[in-house]
Amino acid sequence: MTEQAAPTRAGQSDAHQDDAREHILVLFVNDRPGSVDRVVGVLRRRRANMQTLTIGRSELAEVVRITVVVDDSEVGVEQLVEQLRKVVDVRQVVNLSTAQAVARELALIKVSSTATSYSEIIELGHQFGAHPVDVTPETVTLEVTGSEEKVTKIVDLLQPYGIREIARTGCVAMTRGAADAGDSES
Amino acid sequence: MTIAARVSQRAARTVATRVQETQDMEARELPGSHILCEALVREGVDLMYGYPGGAIMPFYDALTSYPMLRHVLVRHEQAAAHAADGYARATGKVGVCVATSGPGATNLVTGLATAYMDSTPVVAITGQVARPFIGRDAFQETDVLGVTQPITKHNFLVKSIEDLADTVHEAFRLAKGGRPGPVLIDVPKDVQLGKGMYRPRASVSSIESFRAIHVPEPSPEAIARAVRLIASAQRPLIMSGHGVILSEAFEELRAFAEKTSIPIISTLLGLSALPVDHPLFLGMPGMHGPAHVNHAIGLADLIIGVGLRFDDRVTGKVSEFAPHARIIHIDIDASEMHKVKPAAVPIVADAKAALTALLEAVEPAEHADWIAEIRSWEAQENERLANATRDQEYPDPRSILDAIYEATNGDAIIVSDVGQHQMWTARFYPWKRPNSHITSGGLGTMGFSLPAAMGVKMGVPDATVWVVAGDGGIQMNIQELATLKQLGLALKVAIMNNGYLGMVRQWQQFFHNHNYSETPITGPDYPKLADAYGLSGMCITRREDVAAAVRKAMETPGTVIIDFVIEPESNVYPMVAPGSPITIMIEEPVEEVAHHD
Repeated sequence: MTEQAAPTRAGQSDAHQDDAREHILVLFVNDRPGSVDRVVGVLRRRRANMQTLTIGRSELAEVVRITVVVDDSEVGVEQLVEQLRKVVDVRQVVNLSTAQAVARELALIKVSSTATSYSEIIELGHQFGAHPVDVTPETVTLEVTGSEEKVTKIVDLLQPYGIREIARTGCVAMTRGAADAGDSES
Repeated sequence: MTIAARVSQRAARTVATRVQETQDMEARELPGSHILCEALVREGVDLMYGYPGGAIMPFYDALTSYPMLRHVLVRHEQAAAHAADGYARATGKVGVCVATSGPGATNLVTGLATAYMDSTPVVAITGQVARPFIGRDAFQETDVLGVTQPITKHNFLVKSIEDLADTVHEAFRLAKGGRPGPVLIDVPKDVQLGKGMYRPRASVSSIESFRAIHVPEPSPEAIARAVRLIASAQRPLIMSGHGVILSEAFEELRAFAEKTSIPIISTLLGLSALPVDHPLFLGMPGMHGPAHVNHAIGLADLIIGVGLRFDDRVTGKVSEFAPHARIIHIDIDASEMHKVKPAAVPIVADAKAALTALLEAVEPAEHADWIAEIRSWEAQENERLANATRDQEYPDPRSILDAIYEATNGDAIIVSDVGQHQMWTARFYPWKRPNSHITSGGLGTMGFSLPAAMGVKMGVPDATVWVVAGDGGIQMNIQELATLKQLGLALKVAIMNNGYLGMVRQWQQFFHNHNYSETPITGPDYPKLADAYGLSGMCITRREDVAAAVRKAMETPGTVIIDFVIEPESNVYPMVAPGSPITIMIEEPVEEVAHHD
């Protein structure tokens, strides 16, 4: 067999970062003081190009689930995964490819509204499955859930009405099918 | 009675007490400070370096009940960390250092960062303010977990007495398991003072646990691929790193190289794994590597990197490092794979296990032409060295190193500091004894050598330990001369004194247009300083006196300092400019008359 040279590492080496793309990393981390801090510290020190970071409970009481979306090359993200695995409180790191995963985020969008624009905003939101969670004479707050693209799209469309505030959770993800995220690790 | 005598008397009592203490496995109620000591005894700790203070006082109070835990009072906590590091490097055991909260803990930081960069097993124990005061900016409170997070493998804040013993055992497991490194345990004062049940049978020390002795084995598939690459290589090189020393794979390295006839180059921290006079040993590559080694890398078609991380001081400009070579990379840390140089065959394994597997699987081979070619470049290099323009009056760095080698029959352990003298030592000392080269490589910590040598000497008491330092670095932890005196410890210290921060001055000369900004430096009268500390000192200004001075230092009991006044502006050659390919070197100027083509 012929030995193939591995693709080169972006950032630290001479390699080009031409093959950078989005990766969703799911980390299972012991729920101990400072453990999230350690994960974030590694992401910072190893210069991860972090897009979103979401922290929440998992199915296990003592385990926190962290979802982090990074932009990096294939080799770069492998490097990052190995660095994250060295954190003592990290039990497991899984790189979910977007093809295999359901990835969602939630956004709260507070839009300026008037008597005339109110129904337009509600109707627009309706097309995205968004529903109003708070209404005042001046504003409507919509809650929308979906892919990052979907959320970005509704934000764009609401822009003309005057967006006062946006809160987005960032991505959480899960493997499709019966397998758990932890099983998909190659 | 002198302090040294008291110390030795205390040490003599230890054997009997240790047996009694380690055998007491019954559950019992103890103060946290005693549980801490019990757990340390069970980890086989017999020596620690530290400095007491408010938040760690209960531990120091307990210490007198545990005479088998010998404690050395340093003069600055940084030295405690370096001494623990030196002890760990020389013995392979975990080095232990202790400090109080706040400034005590922050003073450990440089030492922990040094151990982290060079992967040495150190456990640091720090006092912390009592739990109710944490987070309230109490006196001498520092978030030492936050401060040390990026420079430790892991760190712990012990939140209850019940967790103490297990935390200590886990810290030792982490420090020496896999790729070794420093681990810090922060113990609040009230956890030390409070009483709790100590249940030795409920916890497992790192010595007893399987995890600590588990050695990652290479995958047979990776070994098979590596063997195919090795069989087809025409110009292969073995690049040996610190991992070979950490896993004590000296014999395996030698046997593998001899069976395959592959020449060996060594990183700074890999030096002394193989004797310099071995026919296959070539030298150290990189920024100050001799030309023949760097040229060999430039032409090599295969590099077998064992226990190293392709540091930028080794590779120079990464894209032009080993441009024709495929790389077999053996390291225990998976995150080192492809980090700098993509590996054709990554082998995540302990160096000893991987070399053993390779040794069995490879076929014998010959590379006589390749070696002869490299040796011919070396001969040119040696000729250039012989004709170098140097002031013959001054003690020459190489003559000092040769004298130390001669006077110790090559059996000494050399602890170097950081700077020009470090590179001269790495290059010119004829390494013979395995693991006899101790230095701060990754972090490049000036002030490392004197306290680290203290740990080396106490870890290997039968060895002669020579410190080789510059006149800058030696002044960074010079206070430890008092510790050496109090201990009655005999180090031999050679200062290569050029009146400059020499390496920085060299860079200023080459790359900053001779602008010697803040590099001229003075120092004390070293013989007088030695005298003031109750030690011996000499000042040597002529080359002809070097050998006699070194012999005299060997004959003089106790710690001896020799101040060698060397040529002020001598440089380390060759030198690769930062960011340049390693095959492009600034060579040593030679006498016109001696030059020939």
